[in-house]
Amino acid sequence: MRRKAGLVLLAFAVFFTAMSPLMRWYAFPRLAKIPPGQYQDAVLEAKNPTLIDYATMTAKKIDKVTIVQTLKGNVEASEKIEESTDRDVVVWDALSYVEDDKGRPVSKIPERYIFDAHSQEPVHAAGESVDGDPVRRQGLEFKWPFLTEKRDYEYFDAQARVTKPIHYKGTRTFRGMEVYYFEQTIPWTKVPFPKVMPVKGITAASLAETGTTRWYTTVRKFWVEPATGAPVYGEEIQKNELRGGTLLGDRDRLTVFEGHVKMRDDYIESTVDLVKSQRVLVLLLTSYLPWGCLGLGLLLLALSLWLEARGRGRGGPGPTASSDPEPEPATA
Amino acid sequence: MRALIAAVIGLAAAFALVLVVTAIGASPGETSPEPLLTTVPEHP
Repeated sequence: MRRKAGLVLLAFAVFFTAMSPLMRWYAFPRLAKIPPGQYQDAVLEAKNPTLIDYATMTAKKIDKVTIVQTLKGNVEASEKIEESTDRDVVVWDALSYVEDDKGRPVSKIPERYIFDAHSQEPVHAAGESVDGDPVRRQGLEFKWPFLTEKRDYEYFDAQARVTKPIHYKGTRTFRGMEVYYFEQTIPWTKVPFPKVMPVKGITAASLAETGTTRWYTTVRKFWVEPATGAPVYGEEIQKNELRGGTLLGDRDRLTVFEGHVKMRDDYIESTVDLVKSQRVLVLLLTSYLPWGCLGLGLLLLALSLWLEARGRGRGGPGPTASSDPEPEPATA
Repeated sequence: MRALIAAVIGLAAAFALVLVVTAIGASPGETSPEPLLTTVPEHP
């Protein structure tokens, strides 16, 4: 009986010990992925920014500019791309909608971002675009990979349509959570006019005809929770200018937007709550369960060896020994 | 010999469980009916 128990314990010991690396290095990379149907919105605000008034072609200080960013997973589009790529793909249809302090629209930039659901690497397929223009992204956008490392990454800037390094600048504590802080600087770069302009009659094409060009620079900051790779907070110090051409008259440049954009406080809270819950799931597969299984496996192995040793110490293998008659005690 | 069989059973069970769980995976779900926002939401 003791021998049987020892063998059962040994089977469980091997089971749990094997589960430990299998869970971490086989199951986790396959199970951890962005769901293709995810829907998420975020609101960011710039207090006291400078904003262009296209009607008078002057830049004014206003109370606030609000940016509403929506990400919507397109399941049908991702399934279609998966048929030809043999990868788990996520297609995010995104919209950055900007309005001024009076609720008037300032800009509306749609994007289609296609990426690998596990690694967050861009996947190149038809439809990948920014503001209707086809693009070929390199690097990350919106989210870092699971188990983010303390290193620089390449990050795609949708306004400039360029990929530049985003530098790891250290580990911080944000609302009680350990996060990695990343920063990217896009130097002054000539960028296209948005397809939809806030004033009727003014189009990207009509602006381009005047010889006026649009320039942009930004310092982008992200606080990223490393287990999930999800940014819990973001800021941008952004400047947009019009330069040259007949549109500006005798001026050589005019500010389109200048402001410090920060995530609205209620959205920080909801993002932190969401990331905290997802973090537990990632840590379950990468840390809690693998280490727990390994510990349990070793414990069961020790127990089974102990049972075996006890069985042998009492005169050989349990089941066969038990059928033999007990030896008579020696008498002097 | 019995110990070896027990170990193989444990190992096979671990592989089988992990393979089944990863093969099943998660449901892809559906595209959300929510629109891309062009108004500022009051709260998340």
